[in-house]
Amino acid sequence: MRISKMQKVLLINEWGLAEVLADGVTDGRPESRAGGLMDGLDGLTYALAEGESLSLVLLVLPDAPDAVINLPVQVKMDGPNSQFELHALALAGERQKVNVRVDVEHPGPDARSNQLIRCVAGGESRIAFEGLIKVLPGAIRTEAFQTSNNLLLSEQAKVRTCPQLEIYADDVKCSHGATTGSLDEDEQFYMRSRGITLEQARLLQLRSFVWPVLAQIEQEDLRASCDEQVSRALATMFPRL
Amino acid sequence: MQTLLEIHDLHASIAGKEILKGINLTIREGEIHAVMGPNGAGKSTLSAVLTGKPQYEVTDGTVLFKGRNLLEMTPEERSWAGIFLSFQYPIDIPGVSISNFLKTALSCRRKAQGLPELTPSEFLALRKEKMALVQMKPEFLKRDVNVGFSGGEKKRGEIFQMAMLDPDLSILDETDSGLDVDALRIVADGVNRLHTPQKAAIVITHYQRLLDYIVPDFVHILKDGRIIKTAGRELVAEIEEKGYENF
Repeated sequence: MRISKMQKVLLINEWGLAEVLADGVTDGRPESRAGGLMDGLDGLTYALAEGESLSLVLLVLPDAPDAVINLPVQVKMDGPNSQFELHALALAGERQKVNVRVDVEHPGPDARSNQLIRCVAGGESRIAFEGLIKVLPGAIRTEAFQTSNNLLLSEQAKVRTCPQLEIYADDVKCSHGATTGSLDEDEQFYMRSRGITLEQARLLQLRSFVWPVLAQIEQEDLRASCDEQVSRALATMFPRL
Repeated sequence: MQTLLEIHDLHASIAGKEILKGINLTIREGEIHAVMGPNGAGKSTLSAVLTGKPQYEVTDGTVLFKGRNLLEMTPEERSWAGIFLSFQYPIDIPGVSISNFLKTALSCRRKAQGLPELTPSEFLALRKEKMALVQMKPEFLKRDVNVGFSGGEKKRGEIFQMAMLDPDLSILDETDSGLDVDALRIVADGVNRLHTPQKAAIVITHYQRLLDYIVPDFVHILKDGRIIKTAGRELVAEIEEKGYENF
């Protein structure tokens, strides 16, 4: 029997290396393999056959202050009724550089892809996100969506985001969107008016920003430990508060 | 009765435009003050200035809270000192539960006051007691702050936060907007139950409705950045009859 639904959760701390936090079927059976390392990684490539569903969660948390991480992700929606969900989070500070490129190709009909990429850039870091959704001729009734949200925490940090759609088929539903901004002051004021310090308010805002990615992690224990790890990384992004 | 808040000749502007043009107001313990006025009179600006919203600039005047210079304090310091604002438009914070939000708020305050953190069981007991005051179900605490709340839930959430933080001076900014009669009654009941002879409230509203439930000791008409008339609760009916134009 074909595996119908799976989730992979990958943690990437340095270039070429991914820690597999979860990898397996998710429809009720605890068969998830975890704890492995993917070494010599120069990209992630997936092809989804008929009826297959993959939820990919990527946590890009660079370690070293001058780390550079390049991560190409290529997904081919080969079979009808296949489904791909990407939820990615990248946090960069200091002089770190993160480049994420996601290519999703819809060669045939009736497949569905959805991507949410959230990036937080502090310090003097650089984050670049490029996303291309390609809907080939004949890929009718395709649904393909992509959202890129970016948060800048310092004036020296830079984010470049470039979502692209190429559509060569009719009768499709596709969208892409990108936002880049800084932490909202009205939110901060709301929290501060309750006695939450500005520093804590910022941490809660960051948590709120990253949560839609973390929330996708299906195993509860893993979600909690990733949450903790991300929170620790976020707390170091405001060194001078 | 001790004086809690003393506003003297307060002028404030936003983006260079003067909104408050000399407000004078004294509030003592135990008093409920209604501030009424037409749109654009400066009602929300007054609440924003008292709670320290960054975009507003105070250009003249003084504000003392419990004898301290309020205008020099950050928004969080004002909260720690005992001021609370129930927002007209509460802000949603996805990914942060109400329980976590309030735990953070209390922990920041206790830290600032040099007190030890509440133990989990102390926090739970406090939560339970205050939930009863606003007739709130426990599931509510797990929800993200204001995310997907109805108008009534948002305002009830504000009063629950107020109950948890136990302020000495509560400012209710248009708490009645968007509420049906049942929600209005629950919110007003909560406010009334939290009121003690040591506490005070400023109720900002357009309409008589809320003041049928929260009965003010004083009613002020705010118009064009100034308080143009102050009287007892009988003024509410007069406003309802005459409209603001005739004051």
